[in-house]
Amino acid sequence: MFNPLFKRIGQRIGHYAGIYKEFVSNCFAAAMTYRFHFVMLIIMDLLFYLSILASVDFLFAHVNKIGSWGRTEFMFFMAFMIAIEHLHMTFVSENFWEFSYDIRTGRLDFILLKPVGALFVIFFRSMRPGTLINGFFPWYYLIHFGSQLHLGPLQWLALPFLVLLGLTLLTSIEILLSMSMFWIVESMGINFLRMQLQQVSRWPDFVYQYFAQKFFSFIVPVLLVGSAPVKFLLDSSQWPGLVWVAVVLLICWSGIGFFWRKGLASYESASS
Amino acid sequence: MQDAIFCQNLAKYFRHYHKEPGITGSIKSFFVRNYESKAAIRDFDLQIAQGEIIGLLGPNGAGKTTLMKMFTGIIVPSAGEIQILGHLPHQRENAFRRKIALVMGQKSQLWWDIPAMDSFLLLQKYYEIPDADFKKRLGTLCELMEVEKLLKVHVRKLSLGERMKMELMASLLHQPEVVFLDEPTIGLDLVAQKNIRDFVLAWQREFRTTVILTSHYMADVDALCQRIVLVLDGCKRFDGAIREFESMLGKQKFVSVDFETPIDNRENLWAELDPNWNNDGTHVELRIPEEALRQTAMAILRDYPVSALSMEKLPIERVMNELLTNPHLLAAPR
Repeated sequence: MFNPLFKRIGQRIGHYAGIYKEFVSNCFAAAMTYRFHFVMLIIMDLLFYLSILASVDFLFAHVNKIGSWGRTEFMFFMAFMIAIEHLHMTFVSENFWEFSYDIRTGRLDFILLKPVGALFVIFFRSMRPGTLINGFFPWYYLIHFGSQLHLGPLQWLALPFLVLLGLTLLTSIEILLSMSMFWIVESMGINFLRMQLQQVSRWPDFVYQYFAQKFFSFIVPVLLVGSAPVKFLLDSSQWPGLVWVAVVLLICWSGIGFFWRKGLASYESASS
Repeated sequence: MQDAIFCQNLAKYFRHYHKEPGITGSIKSFFVRNYESKAAIRDFDLQIAQGEIIGLLGPNGAGKTTLMKMFTGIIVPSAGEIQILGHLPHQRENAFRRKIALVMGQKSQLWWDIPAMDSFLLLQKYYEIPDADFKKRLGTLCELMEVEKLLKVHVRKLSLGERMKMELMASLLHQPEVVFLDEPTIGLDLVAQKNIRDFVLAWQREFRTTVILTSHYMADVDALCQRIVLVLDGCKRFDGAIREFESMLGKQKFVSVDFETPIDNRENLWAELDPNWNNDGTHVELRIPEEALRQTAMAILRDYPVSALSMEKLPIERVMNELLTNPHLLAAPR
């Protein structure tokens, strides 16, 4: 009974992996066409990461602690967030801008015609191959500050999974927000809101005042993206934060499913 | 045999609002919008058998593309029933989406910054086409379209005609049972239009594909379609054989006459024949009822210095123009 089910799941994963391989291949082909743009993106992203770390380093030139964290914990957190940011910029970010364009121009029509999950195509078809090269940057600093914090073997093992968990949460919240594009159509505002939320999530939750901390942990829970996993890495008794992340993920995915169906029902497509 | 397309009492309403001109109108419409609901399609019935090629005709804004989008499941109908090959399109089942294709002359499904071949490989993955089948189909399509050398050229570098050939290929790689062609020849030169028509015809004959075509070029319709459905203001106003459509204005012939010297076109004879003169009065196109054809042609040959005279059936373009200008000639919308 289970064998056919596993076989079907395996086939489905193989199908989507094949499609994703072609996405990557096409994005590489497209990115290599514009060589200067390709190099510029790499440099811009590196400068962005450096500016984040430099700003925190600058703060700690003037204070010894922020909340209960010293420089090493704080820099580890920033490196963790840059690792998420790097994966987000490389694999997901472009798609949110394209989704808005797809709806405005009716290009979504062709995606809806393909016999695969349209959400998968919409949010994972474009990537920035150039920025993939920058992956060494956050991981160098994660390892550097992680070593200074004397992380144990289990913590090192959990680290990549927790980065992926943070990325999944951030992306899920953003996809849920993006569902509003079906009704708003011109969605520059939503995309800027997404970027502001990313900005909020780049700092640990304790730097925010009570109301803001609760709002961004429970209503629009972007503070969970980095704070929950890093707090757990530094102190395993902080595991309830991860449970809350799992609950939020379930809520997000239910919301995405609901609003996706509603959005498609009201989609009018652009006239030809 | 199951219908390829069946729809009954189909309707689609769209909402829009009017904005007064100028900055005051913009500010006003930011706060208050009086929405109106307009029927893009209403009470639309249609049955199309498998393997048919039909032309969906009508002026801009008649509702043709809206129909196509409902048939393909892109938009959801406001009312009524549709079945395409037994599927409900708006449920968007994968099995349904593997059986259909849509080509839009004004939109592209190919990735702009890479060669078409890379997009084709992606489509192979979408539709899970085995390698051997993919190579064979691509070979056939390339041969019919004569585009082998263009497969590795970036799509943005292709001419409009070449790109449209690639769009058609992209839509047919998975060998759909029903193909929707929404103005596939728009903007193309005459040679490119003919190439596309010849290709569609050859493909349809080979695979007995059901084809639904919209086009403003009557040459496309004349060359491809056995049956025409005319849509005006969202309603079906004609559904029948193309020959029946051509004779809607009565059995008439289109007569073209060249004269050796300019003719006085104010004479009574011409007024009854819906004449279309050139500037210097040496050429005229006439519409003559079949029963009066012999007598009228003889009179013209006898009384005027005719250098050439040709007769043909009334062009579908002319019938279409006449009916769009005088929609009361059509049956009332149901």
